[in-house]
Amino acid sequence: MKNRLGEIRKKHGIKQEELAAALEVSRQTIGSLENGRYNPSILLAFKIARYFDLSIEEIFIYEESEVK
Amino acid sequence: MKKSVSAFILMFLGLALLSAGIYTVKTSIDPQGMMRVLPYLCIGLGCGIFGHGTGDVISRRILKNHPAKEKEIEIERQDERNITLGSLAKAKAYDMMIYVFGALMLAFALMEVDLAALLLLVFAYLFVVAYGIYYRYKYDKEM
Repeated sequence: MKNRLGEIRKKHGIKQEELAAALEVSRQTIGSLENGRYNPSILLAFKIARYFDLSIEEIFIYEESEVK
Repeated sequence: MKKSVSAFILMFLGLALLSAGIYTVKTSIDPQGMMRVLPYLCIGLGCGIFGHGTGDVISRRILKNHPAKEKEIEIERQDERNITLGSLAKAKAYDMMIYVFGALMLAFALMEVDLAALLLLVFAYLFVVAYGIYYRYKYDKEM
């Protein structure tokens, strides 16, 4: 699943470490999410969306073709 | 608090087991049957438990003065990606264990090892498989 997390984070001017601390996850998790290597749980997706005051769909991009 | 008490209990339990094992090895003359193995088992288990307990006590002592580091460790422990990675690795290891232990049982049977030992291994293998099936069923009911 693609996402705009890296772009949104940079726009808000916060570091990966700061976002990780705010969401109570490891910095590696934020890195993996931004690289698209890891898909978050629905709870983490909500936490991220609430943190940036956006909807989940504005951050995570679901594409039908990605479903294996 | 409760956890630090259990770490102390583990440490003393390990020390007691270790001491009992060493004392038995030093004092027993011409041990027979199970007593030939039991002291060494106590020493091995004692070392393991004592090491684990002591490590836990020391890390708690150090982390007590560094709450930021403690929080960081707690986050790493509860991080959903870390938990997923751990679960995936364990699942892979379980799959491998099924094949490895299956091959081992077959090899033991062909080597005509003691039937009691072979049956113990088979029961242990089947117990693990049944345990997996039980949890598959349990989680199926819960989710």
